[in-house]
Amino acid sequence: MLVGAAYRRQNAVLAAPLVLFLLALLGFPAVMSLIYAASKADFETLMSPEFIGLANFSTVLTDPDFWQAAWFSTRFAVVTTLAECGLGLALAVFLAPLIRHHGWMVAVLIAPIMVAPAMMGLMYRLVLHEFVGPLPHYLYAIFGSAPSFLGVRNLFATVAVIEILQWTPFAFLLFLTAYNALPGDLREAAAVDGTRPWRMFWKIEWPLLLPTVGIALFIRFIDGFRVFDNIYVLVGPGPGGVTTSMSIYIYEAFFRAGDIGRALAAALILFGFAFAAVALAQRWQR
Amino acid sequence: MAVIELNGVGKTFAGTEVIRDVSLRIEDGEFCVFVGPSGCGKSTLLRLIAGLEDVTAGRIVIGGRDVTALEPYARGLSMVFQSYALYPHMTVRDNIAFALRTARLPEKEVAAKVAEAARMLQLDAYLDRKPAALSGGQRQRVAIGRAIVRQPQAFLFDEPLSNLDAALRSDTRHEIARLHRQLAATMIYVTHDQVEAMTLADRIVVLQAGQIMQVGTPRDLYERPANLFVAQFIGSPRMNLIPGNAIGEETAQIGVRPEHLRIVPSGTGRIKGRVEFAEYLGADANVILDCGAAGRLSMRLSGQALPGEKAVIDLDWNTDLTHRFDTAGLRILSVKT
Amino acid sequence: MIGALRWLVFGVAALILNFPLLATLATAFKTPAEITANPGLWVQSPTLANFQTVLTVSDRLNVWQHLGNSLVASLIGAILPIVICFPVAWGMARRGVGARVLFPLVINLRAMPLVIFAIPLYVMFRALGLLDTQLGLGLILAIVNTPLALLLLLQAVRDLPLELEEAARMDGAGLGRILLRIVLPLCRPAIITTFVFGFITAWNEFLFGLMLTTRDAVPMTVGASFFFAASGGGVQWGVAAAVIVVAALPPLLLGLVLYRRISGSMVAGAVKG
Repeated sequence: MLVGAAYRRQNAVLAAPLVLFLLALLGFPAVMSLIYAASKADFETLMSPEFIGLANFSTVLTDPDFWQAAWFSTRFAVVTTLAECGLGLALAVFLAPLIRHHGWMVAVLIAPIMVAPAMMGLMYRLVLHEFVGPLPHYLYAIFGSAPSFLGVRNLFATVAVIEILQWTPFAFLLFLTAYNALPGDLREAAAVDGTRPWRMFWKIEWPLLLPTVGIALFIRFIDGFRVFDNIYVLVGPGPGGVTTSMSIYIYEAFFRAGDIGRALAAALILFGFAFAAVALAQRWQR
Repeated sequence: MAVIELNGVGKTFAGTEVIRDVSLRIEDGEFCVFVGPSGCGKSTLLRLIAGLEDVTAGRIVIGGRDVTALEPYARGLSMVFQSYALYPHMTVRDNIAFALRTARLPEKEVAAKVAEAARMLQLDAYLDRKPAALSGGQRQRVAIGRAIVRQPQAFLFDEPLSNLDAALRSDTRHEIARLHRQLAATMIYVTHDQVEAMTLADRIVVLQAGQIMQVGTPRDLYERPANLFVAQFIGSPRMNLIPGNAIGEETAQIGVRPEHLRIVPSGTGRIKGRVEFAEYLGADANVILDCGAAGRLSMRLSGQALPGEKAVIDLDWNTDLTHRFDTAGLRILSVKT
Repeated sequence: MIGALRWLVFGVAALILNFPLLATLATAFKTPAEITANPGLWVQSPTLANFQTVLTVSDRLNVWQHLGNSLVASLIGAILPIVICFPVAWGMARRGVGARVLFPLVINLRAMPLVIFAIPLYVMFRALGLLDTQLGLGLILAIVNTPLALLLLLQAVRDLPLELEEAARMDGAGLGRILLRIVLPLCRPAIITTFVFGFITAWNEFLFGLMLTTRDAVPMTVGASFFFAASGGGVQWGVAAAVIVVAALPPLLLGLVLYRRISGSMVAGAVKG
C-alpha cells in the first residue's frame, strides 16, 4: 500500500484537474470580482480600474431599483416555489398509481423541463399574443374576453405562472421518485389496519416525504430567486422595472449602463445572500 | 511455494485493536485454515497477509523475504474472494488473463497459461462467456482459475463457499481439497464453518477477538482443546460444560462431549437428568437433559433407542474422555493415574 | 371511477403544461394567412415553408451556424466535466480526497447564482481572446455541469464493489490501470447519463450565451431570441415559431428518448444538493 508522501502525491494528481479548472474559471474571476466591486470601471477603462473602496456597495444599497429587484425576486421565488411544490406533490401522489402501469406518462409530463427557459419565454410571446396567440383566442371563445397578459398589472402573475408551469414537472418528478421509494410494507401494514387513503397520506406518507419537500422547496427557491432567461426574453426589465429580477438588475447594470463596479457589488451582495442561505440550509439539515 | 511467517503482527483500526500480537508459521505446501466467529479478525488477518491492508505492528515474511512493506502483487500471492470479484465486463478468458497481461507477458504465453488453467478447472466451454452468464459454482472456478494462472507462492481463500448453496458446498469443498493435492501449494483458507475447517485443514488456527486461541491439527483441536473457547467452538453439538462443584470435583469446569455420555442403569450414574427434548435426526438423535446443578446437557444417541420425554435417566462417562478447565478457562493437563 | 379521474387529471395536466410547445409547433406549420385567421391549435392547411425559410441561410438568420455553435459548445460543456471529475470522484469515493473543502465547495456551486461570475469571466475572456468563441462558451457550460457530474460519478464509483479493485490489485494492476480498465468501463451507464443530462443543460443555457458571445459563437438559444428582437416592424410568426422549434428540438428529443435514465440524475442532483 502506498503510504505517506507517495500517497498524498497520488491524491493530488487525482484532484488536480478539477482544482486547476476551478481556480482558472472560478477562483480567478472571484478575485477579480472583489477588485472590480471596489473600483470604478466601465468598458473603456476595463484594464485600469479606479479604486473607490466601498462606494459601489453603498450606491447599490441606496438604489431603489436594487431593492425593487430584490423584492421582486423574493416574491417571485416564494410564490413560484410554493405553487410548484404544492402542485407537483399533488400530481405525483394522485397520479402515481396510474403511472405505475403507464411509464410513458412521466415523459409527457416532464417535457417542459427539457425546453430551454429562454425558448419557453419566446413560446409564451406567441401563446399570449393578442392577435395570433391561441390562449386569448380560446379565452375569447369561451368567456368572451381575455386579460391583457402583458399589461403592467398582470405582468407579475404572468411571469410567475410561466415559471410555475415550466417547473412544476420538476417538483413532480422529485416527489414521484420519493413517493415510489417509500417502503411498500408500511402501506400494506396500514392497509391491513384499515387505514383510509387520506389518513394514510397525512399520517404515514407525508411525514416520510418531508425531507424531499424540504429539498424541493430549497432548490426551487434558489432557482426562482435567480430567474433570468424566461422573463428577459418575454418582457425584459419590464415597464418601470416591474419584472426586474436580481439577475436582470445585475445584467442591466453591466451591459446597459456599463457600470461594472455597481453590477459586481450587486452580484456580491447576491452571492453573500445565497451563501448564507445554503449554509443555513445545511445547518438545518444536520 | 514458500513458508509464511507472521511475527508479532498487530492491526489497529480507528483506535480499536482488531489483531493483537499474532505470531504464526505456515509451512510450505500446508493447508492452513483460519477459523473463528464473526468479528474475530480472520478475514483481516488474511488481508494483512495479502497486503490489502497495512500492519500496524509486526512483520510478515514470505519465503524468507520480509514483505511487510510490499504491495500485494509483489508478495507473490493470489486471492480468491468471497464474492469471487470477477470483472463483470470481461469474458472468462480475459478475467483469467488480466494479471498476465498486466505483467506484459507475450500473448502466446498468456494464451497457453489460460488454456492450461481452463483445462485444469474444466472451464474450456465457458472461456468466451461473461461472468453474468455463469452459475455460482462456475464463477467460483473462474475465480480459482484466475488465482492459479499466476503460479503464486501461496493461495489465499476468503470464505469462498459462503455464497454457494448447501448442495454445491460439499462438492466444491472436495474440489478445493483435490486442487491442493494436485498443486501441492501453500493455502490459507478463512471460514467461520468448523466443518470446512476440520475437513480441509492440515492445521487449524482458531481466532477470537484478534488473538490466536490455538493452533493445531484437527485432531489436536478436537481431542485436546487448549481452552474453553476452542473446546466449545470445535465439535457439533457443543461440548457439555459441568461446574466442578456440582459433581464433587475441585476442578472449575469439566467438559464432556455429547457423544461421550452414556446411559447407565439407575443409581450407578454420576449425574441424574430429566429429558427435556429428544431430537430425532434419523441415524442420530440429540437428547437435551436438565441435570439440575450440573446444568443442561446434550447427549448424542443412536436414533433407535430414544428415551421418552420427561424420563429420568442416569448418566456416566469415561474419565479419560474428560476435559478439565481451570477458572481462567485454560486446559488443565490431566495427570494420568 | 377514481381511475377515470386520474386519466382526466393526467390529460388536463399534460395539455396545460405542454400548451406552449403544442402552440408553437402548430404555428410553425401554418401559413401566414392561417396564422392571423386561425390562432387555434388545430392546423387546417399545414405547410413546410416556414421550416424551409429557417433552414436556408439568410442575412437575418444563419441557423446552421447557431446550431453548430450550440453543438460544439454543448459537447465541450458535457464531456469536459466528466473527464475532469472522474479521477477525483474515485479519490473522493475511495480515499475521502477533498471531503472537507473541495466536495462541499463544488456541491454548493449548484446553489450559487453563476451570473456573479459572468461579469469577471467576460473581462477575463476579453483579455484572453476567448470572448465570442465556442471554446470559451464551452468552458463556462462545463463549469455549470461540474457539480452534477461530480455527484453522479461519485455515486457510480461508490456503487462498485471494492473487491473488484482489490482483485485487480492482487493481479498486479497499478492505480492507472485499475481506473482505466476496471472502474471506467463499469461506470459507463453513469457516464452516459451524466453526458446526456449535461448536454441538455448546456444546450438550454441562455444567460452565458448572451453575455459571452456576440457574433461568431452565438448559440441557438440566443440566436432565436435575436431573431425575435430583430423583427423590426412585425414578427413573421410562422418563421419565428419554426426557429423556436429548431432550437428546442434537440434537447427535447434527447430528453424524451432517454428520460428514464436522466430522471434519475435530475433527482440525484436535487437530493444531494
